[in-house]
Amino acid sequence: MADAEARHVIEIGYGGNERLVMNMGPQHPSAHGVFRAILTLEGETVVAVDAVIGYLHRCHEKLAETLTYVQYPSIASKTDYVSAMTAELAYVAAVEKVGQIGVPKRAQYLRVLVAELQRIASHCLWLGTWCLDMGGALGGGATIFLYAIRERELILDLFEALTGARLLYGFHQVGGVRYDLPAGWPERCRQTVDLVDRRLDEYEAMLDDNAFFRVRTQGVGVISRELALDVGVCGPLIRGSGVAYDVRRTEPYSSYGDFDFKVPVETAGDCYARYRVRMVEFRESIKIVRQVLDGLPAGPISSRPGVKSVGQVRIPKGEGYTRVEGARGELGCYVVADGSAKPYRLKWRGASFSNLSILPHIIPGHKVADVVAIMGSVDPVFGEVDR
Amino acid sequence: MGETWDLVTAVGRAMGVTFRNFLRRPVTVRYPTVKRVYPDRFRGILALTYDGETGEENCIGCRLCEYICPPQVIKVEMLKAEKRNFAKTFTLELYACEFCELCVQVCPTDAIIMLKTFDVATADRRELLLDKDRLHALGLQHEPSWATGNRLRDMQAPPKPARAETGKTEAKEPAE
Amino acid sequence: MSPLLHHALVGFIVLNVVIGMVTYVTLLERKFAARMQSRIGPYYVGPHGLLQPIADALKLMMKEDVVPAAADRWVYNLAPLAFLVPCVLIFATIPFAPGLGVADLNIGVLFFLAVSSLEIVGLFMGGWGSNNKYALLSAMRAVNQIISYDLPFIFAALVPVVLRGAFGWFVGAYGVLGPLAFVAFLVATLAAENRVPFDILEAESELVAGFRVEYSGMKFALIQLAEYAHMIATSFLGALLFLGGWLGPGPAALGPVWFLLKAMLIFLVVTWVRWSFVRIRVDQILAISWKLLLPATLVLLMVTAFVVAARGAGGS
Repeated sequence: MADAEARHVIEIGYGGNERLVMNMGPQHPSAHGVFRAILTLEGETVVAVDAVIGYLHRCHEKLAETLTYVQYPSIASKTDYVSAMTAELAYVAAVEKVGQIGVPKRAQYLRVLVAELQRIASHCLWLGTWCLDMGGALGGGATIFLYAIRERELILDLFEALTGARLLYGFHQVGGVRYDLPAGWPERCRQTVDLVDRRLDEYEAMLDDNAFFRVRTQGVGVISRELALDVGVCGPLIRGSGVAYDVRRTEPYSSYGDFDFKVPVETAGDCYARYRVRMVEFRESIKIVRQVLDGLPAGPISSRPGVKSVGQVRIPKGEGYTRVEGARGELGCYVVADGSAKPYRLKWRGASFSNLSILPHIIPGHKVADVVAIMGSVDPVFGEVDR
Repeated sequence: MGETWDLVTAVGRAMGVTFRNFLRRPVTVRYPTVKRVYPDRFRGILALTYDGETGEENCIGCRLCEYICPPQVIKVEMLKAEKRNFAKTFTLELYACEFCELCVQVCPTDAIIMLKTFDVATADRRELLLDKDRLHALGLQHEPSWATGNRLRDMQAPPKPARAETGKTEAKEPAE
Repeated sequence: MSPLLHHALVGFIVLNVVIGMVTYVTLLERKFAARMQSRIGPYYVGPHGLLQPIADALKLMMKEDVVPAAADRWVYNLAPLAFLVPCVLIFATIPFAPGLGVADLNIGVLFFLAVSSLEIVGLFMGGWGSNNKYALLSAMRAVNQIISYDLPFIFAALVPVVLRGAFGWFVGAYGVLGPLAFVAFLVATLAAENRVPFDILEAESELVAGFRVEYSGMKFALIQLAEYAHMIATSFLGALLFLGGWLGPGPAALGPVWFLLKAMLIFLVVTWVRWSFVRIRVDQILAISWKLLLPATLVLLMVTAFVVAARGAGGS
């Protein structure tokens, strides 16, 4: 737990001097995973929050040292399991950077395609669970949750037709991707994406101008621009606070430079701003998907032959770090290779791990009900946090 | 006053969306009476196959699948014979399998495949420790997935000069 | 038969009908909500889920009754009863047809409004007796909320009473005041019933069932029963006051049927609202009540009184 000096405790002068220490424990319907927040309350107002993580630690980084470069990509998808394609991409891109392995153009476009589809699916889950937390399992939140999951299922159906799996794909391999598009898939993808576009209008009609929603999210959890830059959050959190930082723009990887898309930025810094950022990201991802499908080149999907043995990929000595723009922010992977088929060391930079460090700064001063709104807008996935 | 009007229209809009969805057909698929259509590449449970023409077991006991499996659920013992090798024992712990399809990917003889079914739910975990007979039986009972080792490797391989036409990689897809 | 026996018999029948209705109203809500969410509701228990409420009732009766070790025994055990009794007692004053009611009180509406406010005692007993911080937090929020919304509820319910001096149709005679009062009544009902968007007290995602969190088995069933009974009772009241009660085309014997249909209409509208919105925070709920709804209903009631006085002085 945080030591006394580092805790951010605010004084309210409530009058009633009794402080209640309440545990929003690891088992909680709105903890977004396994997350423990020890809240110190004065009445309904939170004055301090101690975040306890580590309930989902599965030794990914040690596991990567025992698995080869061929075996680990399917495991990498289990860090950010909601947005598995970008997690695999981070690992595979890091290995390719260290080993200086080229990726054919078609494979790069396919990687962009699945990453953007995955971003749409991940944001669907974010929207659904956030509204579920705010609106209740028996209430309007559940309605939006089921609509969002209905759309997410369509995208998962696309992934199922492409790879055979719905959540954890194993789609990437070092040097390219494992699966090519089946017959009829581009058409289906276009139809799905058009449908999601239309349904997004419905969600915005339900939420955008809704006074109940606005009053829950506007002015709540404000991250100022300076605070965002100081603490080092990433992804929609920092874009909602006025900093136009998107790894796809600052350090284009996997041919993102070929596509025309906007990076949404809002200045308010509250939950509503982050909501708007993600809703625009939906549309931009749909735009990118359409551009990829229009311009997909023919060619091989991997610069290396298909995997025939476990030690097939050997990376010479070196180290390197790649970052990708996951749905939650900047997901980074640092690989130290030593010439064998297994990495010497792997380090994940989890986007949600860095994003969670903003919580002690923005939660104190809000009410208990705002804690769930803020947690939802931060959108952590604890596979990334605890690895 | 304008705020109240905004509130009323916002409420009306949200309730209108809910009402519109009320009139839509439910998307529920009433499993198990109704089953949805599984795509060709569906990664279901694993099975071992026999050769189409000779009826012999495809598995040559090379243990490549055992070495590549990340959670190490496959255990194979090789049986040497005159013309070709076989697998003496082949156990697969399905309860720990990740369904990553790497074993299918490396198999040189397309012996191990995945099926288009997942329905082996049981109350006893020992039933999910599949031995060779069970794996072969499953392979005969259910529909196989499109993905076999050779097909996957062909899809991934950079095209040789003789096959370097446009869309040649797409010709490997299934008919559907 | 003697009037006492007559009233007792009617009361017994009404009680059983109410309990039966409560269970089936849960099924109605679940199917209705499911259709709005692109899914089918309970389907497998009985044809199209018609036996689901019975299965739920049997399950609750068979469940183990878990009592927290440090709970305040008397308060904890009595709370469901203290919550249930007012919610069922208010059915005594509702006339299902002219003369067909359990107790024909001439202060029926006031009795209803007064007794329905007593449920807050049971609620707070439940929250306190559970020895659970979440339950206590929720009970405190509930006390705040229900007390704040009882006043607009009462004022909104009094508008048609003042206008007519009796029960009857509201369209035509009431002009614009009736519908306004109806809207205020619906909003106050949502809040007094702890329905979304005002259900911060249960808030499944934060407080996991609020004051009910430590109850299981039959006690939980009683609390559920009480909540839905209260909901239905206020739907009946709304149908009576604002939608014309038992008046409707057809023979007079169909009166109770029309009454039921109108009450279900109100219930469905409330359910529709419930499944469309996220909830708002407790301080925002209180702000809406004290700053918006209470002044509005107060003004509405005063205007109604003036209108009636003017009509009485100037007209017939």
